[in-house]
Amino acid sequence: MMGPSTNFVIKNQFRKILTDKFKVIPISCAALLLLLYSCSISQFSPEAYKQAVDLKVESLELMSYATESIADFESEAAALKQALKKAYEFAKGRPDNEISAQQWEILIDEERNLLGGFLKRWEDEDTLNEMFITEAQSLVSDAFDTIIGLESGKINPSEIQ
Amino acid sequence: MPTFNDFLSTLKKDLLEFAKANLNEHKDELLKDGNAFIEKTKADLKRWTDGLVSGALSQKDFEFLVKGKKDLAQMEALKQIGLSKIRINKIVDGVLGIVIGSAVKTFL
Repeated sequence: MMGPSTNFVIKNQFRKILTDKFKVIPISCAALLLLLYSCSISQFSPEAYKQAVDLKVESLELMSYATESIADFESEAAALKQALKKAYEFAKGRPDNEISAQQWEILIDEERNLLGGFLKRWEDEDTLNEMFITEAQSLVSDAFDTIIGLESGKINPSEIQ
Repeated sequence: MPTFNDFLSTLKKDLLEFAKANLNEHKDELLKDGNAFIEKTKADLKRWTDGLVSGALSQKDFEFLVKGKKDLAQMEALKQIGLSKIRINKIVDGVLGIVIGSAVKTFL
C-alpha cells in the first residue's frame, strides 16, 4: 500500500529525471514519436485480404486461356481489369496503406511485366505461347502472394489492447 | 527504497531479454525469405534460358519474364518493408510495456 509520502518520492524521482539528470528524454520521446509516425501502417482488412485472394484465383484462371484468341475473352478480360482497378483504388483509399497500394500499382501496370503487362500483350498479340503463360502465371501468383502476405501480417484490430 | 538506478538496471535487463528474443526471430525470418527468393530466381532463370534455347520461349517472352522477376522483387521488397513496420510497431509496444513493467517492479 503506497502512502502519500511514497507517491511524493516517486513523483519527485520522475521529475528529477525529466528536468536534471536526463535532459535527453524529451529528444528520445520526440524520436520515438517520429518512429511511431513513420512506422504507421494500416490494420488488417478482411475485405482487402479476400479481394486479393479472389482476384488471384480469377487472374490465374483467365491467364490459362491465353493460348486462345483474346477476342473470345474480351468481356472476361475487361471485367478482370475493372476488378483489379477497384482493388487498387480500395488499397489507395485506406489510410496508412501506401505500401499495399504500391504493390497493386506494380501488379496491374500495363507498362510493367506482371499481370497488367500480360493482359496487354495478350490484347496486342491475340494469342500467347504455352510455356510463357505457365511461367507468367507463376510470377503473377507470387506477386499476389506478396500482397496477401503483407495484408495477413498486419495487426488485427482484435489484437490491439 | 529502490533508487532510479535500480529501475535502470531492471529496465536494461528486461530490454536485453526482449531484444534477444525478438531480433533473433526476425533475423531468421528475413534470412529465410531472402534465401528462398534467391533460390527460386536461380531455378526460374535456368528454366527460362533452357526455354529460350529450345525455342519454347521467344526473346520477347524471355525479356518479359526477366523484367517480371524484377517487378516481383520490388513487390517482395515492399512486403518486407511493410512487415518490418509491423514488427517495429510490435517492438515499440513491447518496449513501452517493459518500461512501465520495470517501473512498477522497481517502485511499487
